[in-house]
Amino acid sequence: MNANALIAVMVILPIASALFLNLLHKKDRTIKILAIITAIVIPIIPLLTPYGSHFFGGYVPLAQNATLAQGLPSLITGTQLFQFHPGVMYVFTSAQQLMVFVLGLITFFAIFTFLNETKRPSGVYAFLMFMGTASVSAILLSDDIFNIFVFFEIAALAQVGIIVASGIKNNYETALKYILLGNIAGPLLLLGIVILLGVTGNVNVTDMIFTFKQGYVDPNSPVILMALALIAFGWLYASGLPPFHTIKSAVYSKALPHGAALLQAFSVFTLVAIGIIILRLFSYNSFTNIAIIGISVIAMILGITMAIVQTDYKRILGYLAVGELGYIGIGLGLGTAFGITAGLFQAVNEAIITSFLFIGFGTVLYKTRTSNTRKLGGMMYVNPKVALLVLLAGLAMAGVPPLNAFQSKLMLIQAAIQSGLPELGIIMILLSIVTFMTFMKAFYTIYMRPKPKELEILDNKIPRSTVISLVALLIICIILGLFPQIATNSLQTLAAGLV
Amino acid sequence: MVVDSQLMSFFTAGSLVVIGIFAALFLDNLIKKIIGLAFLADGVNLFIITMGYKPGGIVYIFLPDMVVSNFAQTASYPLPFALVLTNIVIGASTLAVILGLVIILNKRHGSLSASKILRDKGE
Repeated sequence: MNANALIAVMVILPIASALFLNLLHKKDRTIKILAIITAIVIPIIPLLTPYGSHFFGGYVPLAQNATLAQGLPSLITGTQLFQFHPGVMYVFTSAQQLMVFVLGLITFFAIFTFLNETKRPSGVYAFLMFMGTASVSAILLSDDIFNIFVFFEIAALAQVGIIVASGIKNNYETALKYILLGNIAGPLLLLGIVILLGVTGNVNVTDMIFTFKQGYVDPNSPVILMALALIAFGWLYASGLPPFHTIKSAVYSKALPHGAALLQAFSVFTLVAIGIIILRLFSYNSFTNIAIIGISVIAMILGITMAIVQTDYKRILGYLAVGELGYIGIGLGLGTAFGITAGLFQAVNEAIITSFLFIGFGTVLYKTRTSNTRKLGGMMYVNPKVALLVLLAGLAMAGVPPLNAFQSKLMLIQAAIQSGLPELGIIMILLSIVTFMTFMKAFYTIYMRPKPKELEILDNKIPRSTVISLVALLIICIILGLFPQIATNSLQTLAAGLV
Repeated sequence: MVVDSQLMSFFTAGSLVVIGIFAALFLDNLIKKIIGLAFLADGVNLFIITMGYKPGGIVYIFLPDMVVSNFAQTASYPLPFALVLTNIVIGASTLAVILGLVIILNKRHGSLSASKILRDKGE
């Protein structure tokens, strides 16, 4: 087998496993075995795969296919057609390796927690989790913008399924709201893609950039700017940036904790993947970077301030997660190699930390069947070890050293100052303080204040697998905090290529 | 007056998109919202088909007796049509999911009014 075929396996394996799991209704043991094997294999594949490109169907550009190119008229060989990519292409570099690995790791922890917290695991639920993972992996890997659109839609459907499967009150309403908005954002995203297809003749991002650079198309034409606006609309929806921050936080709050951990990872990596495409295609226009920074600052302010007033801890986490997305956006928007590296590093950190928090706080739901902070209290005495782990996760999110988000936030502040925007650095510091306060308020209410009399604590013991997942996530946070170069070395090549 | 059929088709696609967005955002009845979303998706599909239209073009299937240069100059561009086919499948799937959700919510709330059903309770 061609080693580069493993690039496609990163997407094909979770899809194949998901489709099989979907058929295994009421076969609990088989579901558990297949799901856990797939969840273990998913993060391992990117570590074994060599960097390179995979051409689906073997359709390499004619310039790389001497047999097919032989005998073709100059009408084809003498023009840019000779260079174009005729099929779907996946690109796998060190940055994709890190991000697909982290996504796989979060999928593993989500599946691991789900299988151990659920007495009769549903094959359909595992199907949805794997389909989402496969879709977001494809979005990260694909160089074909239409292929990205297809997986964008599949990811949206998988997310809706995860909400519906949660069984939480009003989950159907939230799912409908999310899919209705998705059915506006999706076609508009496609419209942007086909406008680009119309003017460049291509859906491959590398080919589109080639067309711009060769001067075949005026990149400043209003039609291209219209395409940018439409693609940006789809990007905002998929990532949960304003004006979609409210629905995104509602989506997290209507999923089970392990589902929410995975959903936020989908949002983070979709934000990064489509954000990178936008930067590759449109960064020649300084307005693109200004717009990304503007929307990111709004996301940070709205997300973090709205978290303060919430009374449901899942909603608090949802809004905090949206606020943290703003940090990633600022890194991308700064447009410097250092800034983009910092933004990508923040994305990796945020995906890990927010999963950590969702799974950690999920133990409260497991023990009390409520996520309303008004009804909670005294949880510190129920399980002090888990309380300590959740506290450390919150400190990581706020950017407290030596945990991982400290390093990425510090890099972001340095990048903002280097770019001549110290105001952004100040905003980021202030909002980190507010994040810390918001988290501590929620932590105090749930864990430290006296237990309300009417709060009923169930006898069920928190599964050991959940505690193991939390400890593993904490170890990753500490390792990335102490040795940030593990991640930044992988990300800086991609970042340098975007400048 | 001879009206360019491609231009008319673009105009129709644009109208469908605008009507679709209006219906999806501003109409209260969920079924009407869904019809609006179908308009929007169909408008985008029509836009893609219109973009792929080539006056005097031939079907993009290369037959053995064809000359390559002649085929390359006259054949329509196949990519937009492949995109439309894929988008129709995606549209049908999402529409089925939306309708499924609406059926369940209609049973629960006894109403198809979006303002009644989709009120955010913040729970």
